[in-house]
Amino acid sequence: MSQPDIRHELQYAQAEPLLPIEKKLIGWSLGTGLVLLVILALLNHYIPATL
Amino acid sequence: MSTTTDSAPWVGTDPAPWLSEDWLSVGIGLLIFVLALAGLAGADLLGWAVATSVWTDPSQALGTVSKAYAALGGAGALIVTYLALLAVLSIGVAALKADVRKFAVAFTVVFWIAYASWIVGSYAHIAAVTPADLQKFGITWSLKLTNEGGYIVALIAGLIIANFFPRFAEWLKDAIRPELYIKIAIVVLGAFLAVTAAGKLNLATSLLLRGVAAIIEAYLIYWAVVYFIARKWFGFSREWSAPLASGISICGVAASIATGGAIRARPVVPVMVSSLVVIFAVVEVLILPFLAQTFLWQEPLVAGAWIGLAIKTDGAAVAGGGITESLILAKAAAEGIRYQPGWILGTTATVKVFIDIFIGIWAFILGYIWTNHINPNQGDKAKASEIWQRFPKFILGFLVTFLVGLYLALGTPSEIAAKVPAAIGEANTFRVIFFILTFFSIGVLSNFKKLWQEGIGKLAAVYLISLFGFVIWVGLLISWLFFSGIKPPLAS
Repeated sequence: MSQPDIRHELQYAQAEPLLPIEKKLIGWSLGTGLVLLVILALLNHYIPATL
Repeated sequence: MSTTTDSAPWVGTDPAPWLSEDWLSVGIGLLIFVLALAGLAGADLLGWAVATSVWTDPSQALGTVSKAYAALGGAGALIVTYLALLAVLSIGVAALKADVRKFAVAFTVVFWIAYASWIVGSYAHIAAVTPADLQKFGITWSLKLTNEGGYIVALIAGLIIANFFPRFAEWLKDAIRPELYIKIAIVVLGAFLAVTAAGKLNLATSLLLRGVAAIIEAYLIYWAVVYFIARKWFGFSREWSAPLASGISICGVAASIATGGAIRARPVVPVMVSSLVVIFAVVEVLILPFLAQTFLWQEPLVAGAWIGLAIKTDGAAVAGGGITESLILAKAAAEGIRYQPGWILGTTATVKVFIDIFIGIWAFILGYIWTNHINPNQGDKAKASEIWQRFPKFILGFLVTFLVGLYLALGTPSEIAAKVPAAIGEANTFRVIFFILTFFSIGVLSNFKKLWQEGIGKLAAVYLISLFGFVIWVGLLISWLFFSGIKPPLAS
């Protein structure tokens, strides 16, 4: 694809609505990530780094 | 930009190369490592490599890394180092089925400009740090960038060529392979970090465990937020949003290419995203290490982790970790605290390597969702074998040098173990040279005007908002949460 086509595509592409599967992907990623971070933070608190 | 990865299709008319750039980096990195280990048996096979000292008299700038080869002199060492790298890399490039003659000519220019930048960066007015250094060189001021300020000089040299001499940059492109150079450097870095870690194994283990937080942050938090912003706020299509989210969140070039392949995007999409990532990495490398030195010098490992989380290409991140380490060690030294070198860079590299390990798995997950739920009629379903195909193989090289280095330092008789730091130190000289080549190459790839003309502005807006809106700050928060209060050991 030529460069002008890419420019046009990026500027004027029609919006694609978020599909349910995309919403699930975003939601599960964020939710799992936050839960795991909290667990790791607790582990980090109770098992501090040792020299 | 190098887009030669395992996932990139071979489009030439000749048979496909039998070796990927990834495996080539493992081969060259291990070759340097093995040659260095000959030092344990009393054979100094790499001592001829060039080393640079901080200087005011240019004739004192260069020398050999080992006194055994001192007769070569600085200029001789530089020429021998150039010839050795030219020979090894030319053989490698031949295995990649690239044009060896063009590479050799371009590499010659790349090497000499890049190393000249390194020498300039070691000039005392740029590199000297402590009052004792200033006194030693008889100067009254210095930029205090340490000799690793040479990386910045190499980057700026590359940027000048890319933006003011684009035809020259195009002529150099056969030897502009930042991904290859940094992967070789990372394989060698594994051994250097092993020697560093061997001195404080408990601390090293603690840092490794904390590296897990980086994986969660990059894949599960950053990716989801960037994808949402690109889709919802900027109206990008799924084909653009997924590689863009991977490029900004995970590891620039490799992740955007792996994701593009996994969701069956057109090749132009990850290439454009990769170009954007490199541009932002350049800007970050020029700014973040100095911010880290100013605001995080009392929390060196937070700084190291932050650089690994915020800068999104392997090359710029790991090399940025090197600059950050130099700047922070210099600042701490000026305050009377002398930390052991290697720990800040080690933290950055750990964070980056941990993130890289999961690129293949994440690409497979996205590929599965795309080919089964988003575009189920394409017929080309994601396969589990793609996880291995997209796995960054240079990490295997890093693991080998790290584990062998650790064994040699801890599991061998004391007379052998005592020789390990010196042997690995010689290999580390080449790690520094490949860092320099990486910085220069990244600069040469960064033609701001050309990218803007290609219509990259809207993509850049997503990057800008994501990077400065939350990537940097969330990275800082998580680095602080997991690495604050942990200090590198003091130098003995």
